[in-house]
Amino acid sequence: MELLEGLNWGLIAPLFIIQLILLIVSFVDLSRIEKTNGPKLLWVFIIIFVTIIGPILYFVIGRRND
Amino acid sequence: MSQWMTLFNKEVLEMWRNFKWIWVPITFILLGVSEPLTSYYLPQIIKSVGGLPEGAIFEMPKPTAGAVLASGLSQYSTFGVLVIVLGTMGIIAGERKNGVAAMILVKPVSYFSYVTSKWAGSLLLVWISLFIGYISTWYYTGQLFDWVPIGEFFQSFALYGLWLTVILTVTVFFSAALLSPGLAGFISLALALIVSILSGALSHLLEWSPSQLTSYAGALLTGGKLPSDTMPASLTALLLIVLFLWFSVFLFKKKELAA
Repeated sequence: MELLEGLNWGLIAPLFIIQLILLIVSFVDLSRIEKTNGPKLLWVFIIIFVTIIGPILYFVIGRRND
Repeated sequence: MSQWMTLFNKEVLEMWRNFKWIWVPITFILLGVSEPLTSYYLPQIIKSVGGLPEGAIFEMPKPTAGAVLASGLSQYSTFGVLVIVLGTMGIIAGERKNGVAAMILVKPVSYFSYVTSKWAGSLLLVWISLFIGYISTWYYTGQLFDWVPIGEFFQSFALYGLWLTVILTVTVFFSAALLSPGLAGFISLALALIVSILSGALSHLLEWSPSQLTSYAGALLTGGKLPSDTMPASLTALLLIVLFLWFSVFLFKKKELAA
């Protein structure tokens, strides 16, 4: 816990917020989209459990853009 | 012109619909900002991970603000390029595959407007995302280390933007020239990688290579001076952008008429 006190929350908090936005947006997109590359359920787990990278991965390769 | 604007607006609107306007800037922010944060908190991270013997003294020289900002910026030439290429590879190939292109092109829309409006839409996205991401990196570096002069910020921003524009244009070109988005993405990435490695290895011969723009931006941030080769490299970049854009319109027209 000592570690957490040394952090500058004014700088860290915005990152949490935009990460949360990313998470929400990827879920909205996932619920709207018809088909993904690979099973949809898999993407749900990737988005939830792989912090930061998960939603980005979904947008970059999970979305079918053709 | 009004036709071009309509197509351009359609492009921008589509990027809202598929949330590109949200996730690309956020990705760029996270990519860049992680750099000053990890270098600032590195001593604490090492301490919390442990593994150092009791009483070990681990002195780390504090990096300069310019070096931190430069390494944050360099994230955009690796992961940033990846995001741009994977995000734009389907821009024309994808639309042609699913038939939207044919639907648009039966109307009296010129091939030139069709390709360039798509290119311009992505261009706007790339520059805005780069700006938002890079200015947050600059701000975090300023808060945690030292403030880098804003003039240097804008110069290095423009140099990186130019290089990313070259990548974008090459991707659009392959997307127009090939039918498959995957192939277009793969070739663009491979080409970007080869050009970067070659001009990095032969930097004394290829000073004018546009991929050198990234190292010149880094040199500006760490050394405070812009190398004299920046001008030829920028000119090559501009020339390549115009050429590739022209060729993509040309090839697309040829392919579309043949199909």
